[in-house]
Amino acid sequence: MNKRSVISGLMGATVLTAGLGGAPAFSADITITMAAPDWPPTRFMKEHFDQTYTSPAGHTTTLDMDFIPWPSFYERVAASLTSGEQKYQMIVTDSQWLGAFVEGGYYMDLTDKIAADPELTTILQDLHPALVSAYSTYPHKTRAQLEAAGEVPAPGVSYYGFPQFPDTYVTFYRQDVFCDEGEMAAFQAKYGSNLPCSYEDWQDTDWSKWGQIGEFFQRAKGEMLAGEVLDDDFYGIAYQAGKGYDFSTMQANAFIWQQGGDIWDESKMPDSQAEGVVNSDVAVAAFDEYLSYLQYMPPVSQTGQMDIFVIQDLYMQGKVGAIIDWVGLGEPVLDPSASKVHDKSAFGPAPGSRKADGSIDRTGNIGGQPFVLTTWNSEDVVDEALNVVKWWLSPDTQLAAVANGGQSGRMSVMADPTYNDLRPWNRAHVEMIDWQKDVWHIPEFFELLTQQQEEFDKAITGQIGAKEALDTVAEFQQELLEDGGYIE
Amino acid sequence: MARKYREIGKAGWGYTAITSVVGFIYFFPVFWIILTAFKTRTDALAVPPKLFFTPTLENFQSVFFRASITTGTSQATDMGLYFFNSIFIAFTSVGLALIVGTLAAYAFSRYPLKGNDTYLFIILTTRMMPPIVVIIPIFLMFRLSGLAGSYWGIILLYTAFNIPFSVWLVKSFFDELNPEIEDAARMDGATERRVFFNFCIPQILAGLSATFVFGLILTWNEFLFALLLTGVETRTVPVAMARTLGGEVGVDYGLLAAIVTLFLIPIFFVTFLLQNQLLRGVTFGTVKK
Amino acid sequence: MANTANSRGGFGAWLLDPKRRGALLVTPALVILFVMNIFPLMWSFGLSFFNYKASSLKVPKFRGLSNYERVLTDDKVWERFQTTAIIVGSSVIVQLIIGFLLALMFAKAFPMRRIVLMLVLTPMMLSFVSVGVFFKLFYEPTFGIVSYVLNFFTEDHFVMLGSPAGAIAGIVIADAWMWSPFVMLLVLAGLVSVPKYLYEAAEIDRASAWRRFWTITFPYIRSLLLLAVLFRTIETFKLFDIVYIITEGGPGSSTETIAVFLYRNAFQFFKTSQSSALAYIVLFIVIVLTNLYLYAVNRRAEEVS
Repeated sequence: MNKRSVISGLMGATVLTAGLGGAPAFSADITITMAAPDWPPTRFMKEHFDQTYTSPAGHTTTLDMDFIPWPSFYERVAASLTSGEQKYQMIVTDSQWLGAFVEGGYYMDLTDKIAADPELTTILQDLHPALVSAYSTYPHKTRAQLEAAGEVPAPGVSYYGFPQFPDTYVTFYRQDVFCDEGEMAAFQAKYGSNLPCSYEDWQDTDWSKWGQIGEFFQRAKGEMLAGEVLDDDFYGIAYQAGKGYDFSTMQANAFIWQQGGDIWDESKMPDSQAEGVVNSDVAVAAFDEYLSYLQYMPPVSQTGQMDIFVIQDLYMQGKVGAIIDWVGLGEPVLDPSASKVHDKSAFGPAPGSRKADGSIDRTGNIGGQPFVLTTWNSEDVVDEALNVVKWWLSPDTQLAAVANGGQSGRMSVMADPTYNDLRPWNRAHVEMIDWQKDVWHIPEFFELLTQQQEEFDKAITGQIGAKEALDTVAEFQQELLEDGGYIE
Repeated sequence: MARKYREIGKAGWGYTAITSVVGFIYFFPVFWIILTAFKTRTDALAVPPKLFFTPTLENFQSVFFRASITTGTSQATDMGLYFFNSIFIAFTSVGLALIVGTLAAYAFSRYPLKGNDTYLFIILTTRMMPPIVVIIPIFLMFRLSGLAGSYWGIILLYTAFNIPFSVWLVKSFFDELNPEIEDAARMDGATERRVFFNFCIPQILAGLSATFVFGLILTWNEFLFALLLTGVETRTVPVAMARTLGGEVGVDYGLLAAIVTLFLIPIFFVTFLLQNQLLRGVTFGTVKK
Repeated sequence: MANTANSRGGFGAWLLDPKRRGALLVTPALVILFVMNIFPLMWSFGLSFFNYKASSLKVPKFRGLSNYERVLTDDKVWERFQTTAIIVGSSVIVQLIIGFLLALMFAKAFPMRRIVLMLVLTPMMLSFVSVGVFFKLFYEPTFGIVSYVLNFFTEDHFVMLGSPAGAIAGIVIADAWMWSPFVMLLVLAGLVSVPKYLYEAAEIDRASAWRRFWTITFPYIRSLLLLAVLFRTIETFKLFDIVYIITEGGPGSSTETIAVFLYRNAFQFFKTSQSSALAYIVLFIVIVLTNLYLYAVNRRAEEVS
């Protein structure tokens, strides 16, 4: 790091003298320090920046990434922001942290900058509206509210973040198992419907079939699977049901939304309620259904520790036939050194709930991270940071990111003819992104989440039922939100 | 006088065999971690758990090198620097705490102040506070004083954390010494400096070594403050280790095990070298007659 | 340094006057402690009387003792204290038993003792994080070695962390494994300090092993045992990483210790003031416990002499 900054300092000095010598460019040395979780999508951003970025303003710009281990990322960022360290110019952030850090005065409102800059406006128009809603707006506006406004940026809406890594969950499945003729015939005989083998089959897979798959493939050591004797117990399905962070809420919310239930809706403040909504009969039935499939999942599901990484490991080690997991965790599945199923995997959209008209509702909870600018920077730095935003969201950079294990939020990039072939889950990702909603963004987000995860965990480990869990959650939320003035 | 360290009875090789079995059972989780360092991810998560496998050095290689995402070429990680930082910071701060603590302990033992016990108790109290509470003030203070991200900041902080333990332990060593000998030396015209350095310190050397090892063990793996108060240049291994806990995959067991194994070597070595002192020191310091 | 008392005149002489020697020697330690520990402690003590939220721009208002009142009337806090007491209590007891047995084993001299002893000392040198991560893996019902071994005896998969009791056991085992060697060292110190002639005398008296232990060995290790209990209790009270990694406080909240609860309040919920108040209550409890121990130690010491 040191060496590089010395070099860039020298280069900056050269540019500066050259400028004095005649050229009218007001170039400067600008270092943008960015807090980033340490993982491939951000490593790529740094490498690609160093290889391709040239400042349109003629500055010598350094992107100094502070790679922080994922598990400690939140602590490091929170400590830096709340202590007033003012170390970072840009920050990769979970969308749910927006409220806390906007209210704290740390994240910069970019609305005017976007409105004043046609290039940024174009980018915003091209970003998928579900992403703009989840990653950018605070106070939170839903996709429907944004689309109803008819213009970009929508009047009265504040925009903050841009997608660094937009993430959705999709189905990872074992083609060798699901497309095995013997298994397919046996499944057809038992349930009277086909075992999903192709992408199109998964488009027609709802939760009840998901449950059937779970029941069908639950096999003990020594039994047969796709013509081979199993050397360990095998399971058909797994999805996240973990106590940590948001590792059950993300999946449970999908069930609740798809079946017509709702969480406390912050976009309709202060009229929206928690009590009676969160624990409505529909929501309870939906959460109950979420819980009901756990019996078909690997035994770790009984501990409340079955998080997004555990199911990924179970899948990669060949213990489970299909999982629902983030696209961002897809890359290792294809890596022969980490995954036993690297050559047997295919990807489809996540299952959903079948509606009366026979179509499937796949509403899901968005994952991934936007990145934001901070509030304490000079005009020059802000402008240059926005140049970096434009560079990152330019079609070339976005396609390169997708090819290197990243994801794009731009609709034009996702519509690019080469896009679907860049990564095997891309088609599913595009299909799923249209269904995305997000949890709360208010500063009390962590309190809401932690209490809910705790109650969900009790239900997952069989200590209480779905109704009791949601009743407790609703009561807690109602009180907290009334105290905070979010519910009148 | 310095009491000689001695065991209760002696036993032969048969006893060694029995204790080795027990010792190895106790050591087994560590052994398993070290084995994991030589495993691929698939082997690390194999069912049934694998005792025999083809060892790989890949994990150790990826401690120090990583593949570039865009070009696939190998880049050096900063792990070498982090190992240096960990060793430098831990040894310096534990050493400092020992020096400062010994001086204070000597005073508490030989020149009791008014309210001696109260001071001693307050010193101990600072170790009881859950660290999470002082984080924000410390973080703020570090930023204001410019100590954040510097070696001195984290070294002084660790020193402060080690002082209570050092003072309490070393004071008990001084208490054990026979002051008559010191008085006799003074009668013979020895200066205070000579009494301290030539009569007291040599007698409690084993105890000081023991205190040093204890302090090292308690400092070596500190995580929370290191995470928040070190910069990119001064980061320690426990913080860097956290990158193996999640990201694109869950825990990278092989890589974590490799770092843990490497990180165990220095402290294991020091403890092994000072083991006799460790036992003698503890004995001699804490036993009341 | 200890002396330079022979330098003459002025401030130096005043400072180095033998009367002030004690104070002078203590000063560096107290200064470092004050700057690095006591000052931040007082800062957060001050905060505990306001309604400060580190994430908020609002100017904090003075709230007197209301944070303390809120914390003390919160049922959750009492639940967390109970959980902590159970985990600290059982872990320290297990550490004492294991540490004691190990110490008995290593009290004899035998060939290669140095090396065998290292096997037992190593767990202390690992980081909490790695112990947490690997014990969690050991307990994992599909991949874990503990489950694998126990599956020979149980019909179904052995699921350690599925119940509150199992989860507490899982945490206690990991923590006790790591820190029993610490207790062992202290007990060992006591054991080897027992004068040999006492044993020889007892042998002549034909005292039973049990009696020998109570009348000869125990008095020598008692104060060390208490010291071990004291240090381990203080440290286990702060137990965080192992719990956070192995169970995240689950199932439900059954293993959420006060340290985890504090972390959530201070860092995730940004209830900066309220968590400072809670921390001071924790500190108060630990101080009371410490004083009880010290009182016990001193009384015993007086009894012996």
